[in-house]
Amino acid sequence: MQWLDAIIQGVLLGGMYAQYALGMALMFGVMRIVNIAHGDVMILLSLIVISLAGVLPLGNIGLIVVIVPIAVLLGWVLQKFILNKVVGADPLPSLIATFGLSIALQNLMLEVWSADTRSLPNSGIASASFEIGGIYMGLLPVLVLICAVVLTGGLDAVLRYSRFGRGLRAAAADTEAAAMTGVDPKRIYAIATAIAVAILGLAAVFAALRATVSPSDGSAQLIYAFEAVIIGGMGSLWGAFLGAMVLGVAQAIGLRIDPGLGILFGHLVFLAVLATRPEGIMARKK
Amino acid sequence: MTQPFQHARVVRATPSSRIAMSLCVIVLVGLVTMPWWASSGNIRWAIELSCYLAIAQMWNLLAGYAGLVSVGQQAFIGVAGYMLFVLAQNFGVNPFVAVILSLIAPAVLAVPTYLLLRRLDGPYFAIGTWVVAEAVRLATSNIDYLNAGAGLTLRVMTQYSQHEREVAFVILCALLLIATIGGSYWLLRSRVGLALTAMRDNPVAAASQGVNVGQLRFLIFVAAAVGTGFAGAIYYMAQLRITPAAGFDPFWASMSIFIVMVGGIGAIEGAIVGALIYFFADRLFGEFGSAYLIVLGLLTLVIALYARGGVWGLLKHLGDHPWFPVQRKLVLEDKS
Repeated sequence: MQWLDAIIQGVLLGGMYAQYALGMALMFGVMRIVNIAHGDVMILLSLIVISLAGVLPLGNIGLIVVIVPIAVLLGWVLQKFILNKVVGADPLPSLIATFGLSIALQNLMLEVWSADTRSLPNSGIASASFEIGGIYMGLLPVLVLICAVVLTGGLDAVLRYSRFGRGLRAAAADTEAAAMTGVDPKRIYAIATAIAVAILGLAAVFAALRATVSPSDGSAQLIYAFEAVIIGGMGSLWGAFLGAMVLGVAQAIGLRIDPGLGILFGHLVFLAVLATRPEGIMARKK
Repeated sequence: MTQPFQHARVVRATPSSRIAMSLCVIVLVGLVTMPWWASSGNIRWAIELSCYLAIAQMWNLLAGYAGLVSVGQQAFIGVAGYMLFVLAQNFGVNPFVAVILSLIAPAVLAVPTYLLLRRLDGPYFAIGTWVVAEAVRLATSNIDYLNAGAGLTLRVMTQYSQHEREVAFVILCALLLIATIGGSYWLLRSRVGLALTAMRDNPVAAASQGVNVGQLRFLIFVAAAVGTGFAGAIYYMAQLRITPAAGFDPFWASMSIFIVMVGGIGAIEGAIVGALIYFFADRLFGEFGSAYLIVLGLLTLVIALYARGGVWGLLKHLGDHPWFPVQRKLVLEDKS
């Protein structure tokens, strides 16, 4: 029972990681870029949400409605002024540019919000829970997981069936050939990054409701998103989702064994997957 | 004009390189004689600067030549530091000998790390190295033998007088600089260096010319791990204390990236210029804390976007005066 509980809590935790991982998988899939500041952007959005909640009488839904457009704008700016300049075959410029951005953002947040941990005021949802067969589940984590499923499914459908999705897959497969057939890669990139950061906006509200955030938390979120993407298999959205579940469960089980082992267990599962099934657990056999 | 030339020779040294080489000798002599003319504070600074120079040069070799961007070099700093403390403190090995023995740890860690991560694409490789560093840090924090999160203290150092310690430190630092900067220079001038330069410019083209890119990357990764670990062992021996949070601090990676990017990636001179800039900037502006780091972060961002050659790249526009020339120049002499 104790282990079943750990697995369920791990899956619920995975819902949070899936939201970080989705945007990373999308951006890497189309641009071959990893934004090192991915986690820091999420923390920045969380801190903005917390500050907004302090001055505006918005409910949690209202906060989501306000922060997601801000996130879209932030994603667009990030793409336009930084990432568009470093897209290319050489991974170094994009890594270094976003690494510099990450350090600058972390310290900027430290200046503005100080090193204190903060969270959104508890509005009841964060502590509400229900019981199924002797196992207690928090209402909020379940909502987060449902959101992650809907986002993954929705994004997957968009990529499969919409005009934008076809353009994105074309740009990912061969940028120049796609450009010749009338796809504007820069526009596709901008939309992909805007979607990725918009999802982070949503995740930011959940993160601030669920636990506390502080300016230096971004790196850990980046690493979890990355581990989820690799465990699942690069380039697959449902793979990233499943990877997030595996990571969440690994951390939850590690945590039950010893409180100091939770995150380490996640890393070890990641390394074990890399050693035994480097193409990821979801990847099709070649 | 097909008249054959009479005599050809390959020239490698330039006037600027002769001056630089003489300066290097003077600096090294200055360094090892420091205990007889400099204050303890200055010696501490010299140790710190030597470690920065070495760690940055190793990162430059990785990212600038082998195309392996790592943000997890702190893993090797930490394991070498810990191995030194364990050997000296728990096994009674002479700490100055233990520094050399502790280089086994980063080499042993680097082999499986590379074999696991080589499957990952460029940017994912980078974050993979970070995960390895974090995993090693967390593992260290959970091992009671290593005093878990509280870390270790090098009490055995008290058996030596301050003067003895300083003499040993400056010799170790001189060895460190010769091994990392001198080693990089020697490597780049050798046959392997030709392959590395070709790889820096275009790995696919290099492979088509018969360069075994995979094997070379592996060797560079292990060599850079050992060089980085050497600096880490010296640094923490001077600190007399190591904790998982300090030894495996991701800031080591940030620092290497600042130094090499600001100085100029893909050139030995770049890492040296960068290390000097960083060292003095840290002395001057370090007190501003996060504001200073915001500027460093933005500077790195701007350099990655607009001036990939860094300061050394800008200096090269003014005139090509290499300190460590790795190219070969063919000089044709007509003796008629």
